[in-house]
Amino acid sequence: MKLKFKIVLCILALVLLAQLIRPEEISLAKTPQAKALTGVPQKIAKILETSCFDCHSDQTQWRWFDRLTPVNFLVASHIRDGRKSLDFSHWDSLATPQRNAMLYFALNGILSKEMPLSSYTALHPAAKLNPEDIDLLKTYLLNNAVSKPADVENAEKATEKQAVQGVKKSPNGIAYLPDYRNWKAISTTERFDNGTIRIIFGNPVAVEAIRTGKINPWPDGTIFAKTAWKQQKAKDGSVYAGQFVQVEFMIKNAKQYAHTKGWGWARWKGENLLPYGKTVKFDTECISCHRPERNNDYVFTTPLAINDLNRK
Amino acid sequence: MKISFTVGIFSFIILLIVSCKPPVSDRINKEASKISISKLPENPLELTPLAVSLQPEAQTMATLYGNSTAAKRLKDGADYAAGSVLYLVTWKGKADPDWFGAKIPDRVITVERIFIGQNGKKNYAFFKGPAHNTGLEMKKDDRESAILSIPVAISP
Repeated sequence: MKLKFKIVLCILALVLLAQLIRPEEISLAKTPQAKALTGVPQKIAKILETSCFDCHSDQTQWRWFDRLTPVNFLVASHIRDGRKSLDFSHWDSLATPQRNAMLYFALNGILSKEMPLSSYTALHPAAKLNPEDIDLLKTYLLNNAVSKPADVENAEKATEKQAVQGVKKSPNGIAYLPDYRNWKAISTTERFDNGTIRIIFGNPVAVEAIRTGKINPWPDGTIFAKTAWKQQKAKDGSVYAGQFVQVEFMIKNAKQYAHTKGWGWARWKGENLLPYGKTVKFDTECISCHRPERNNDYVFTTPLAINDLNRK
Repeated sequence: MKISFTVGIFSFIILLIVSCKPPVSDRINKEASKISISKLPENPLELTPLAVSLQPEAQTMATLYGNSTAAKRLKDGADYAAGSVLYLVTWKGKADPDWFGAKIPDRVITVERIFIGQNGKKNYAFFKGPAHNTGLEMKKDDRESAILSIPVAISP
């Protein structure tokens, strides 16, 4: 009996001592100043504040149970990861299109039921969004954050194309693939959230995979090139592909890219095809956005049956 | 008795494995791919995509496709040469179920084809898609010039 008591006492002492070891975040945590998002209605700001700010801003409200060691280390790591993919802390310094992109990203995270994390809402039930909250966010975005195409003359601007020479590799080592314009269009998309219009090209391996219906997972050798242009309005009211924005590649090789969900990710921006990303691990951003599609091999596009349904 | 029991268990397990296979066909946009190919000389979806456009009032989206002769325009910006085959496929747009903020092709409304022969002679043909509305009026001359003047999507 005495021994049992001693053991319990020791464990208790250890638990108490452990409370002295805390993650940096919690040691530095001051009572956060409630700072509402500027430029959005109070109702919308409140929803985001309640459901997202603990992990996606510097305004974390640490509850007493979040502060206990070792739970606090887990919470701190969630916050670090959360702020890497979406961080409302710098809202004031962002331009409207970037703010809108954040709001669409947040809403799509909610709609795909990725966010808020169920492990988080289990202990923070107030963060759960009800259907009315989601409808409010949708309506707000549709009425206030739909990108309008640029109004320009319907002038045909096709001129002889100068190919960009010496396109630099992506920071993760992926080289630019200049031939994608000869591939098939596996789909097109109108993106009214950011005012672009897109063609998703698939290489011959991708087209064959679609034909045979073997697209989950996509076979090694599959490559997609998603090309975005700014929407440009013509006199007749139609909208065309205007200025080139970027091309993004997804290259499938389950072994080579095992550490990035089986895909090599790369993006080149603007007329000069500048590689996107500051560090080798820039692609965590790509994966974070594609995560809701993990049951579809991380691919958003539902492809057209290019040569299957239509073969005579 | 024992054997039939084992066979039964095995068949049940195999049935489970087969029925648990992810429904791959759900991830193909079949509705948007039906273009009545039997009436068309080529399958436009297999040609090179040259341009994309939206018609906000009609809530439609279209892709301009071309054969290899027409696709030269992407490189040199010159007019479509003799032998060019162009297809404009127009779809009804629908909300992308995977991204709030995007629209993707739904059912095909029309398929239009232009063939440019020797001396620049044009041959226009029009095909109804499954979502075609009979009230839709298409004037051949208007459509010809509209399709030929669609700005191609230029990429570096």
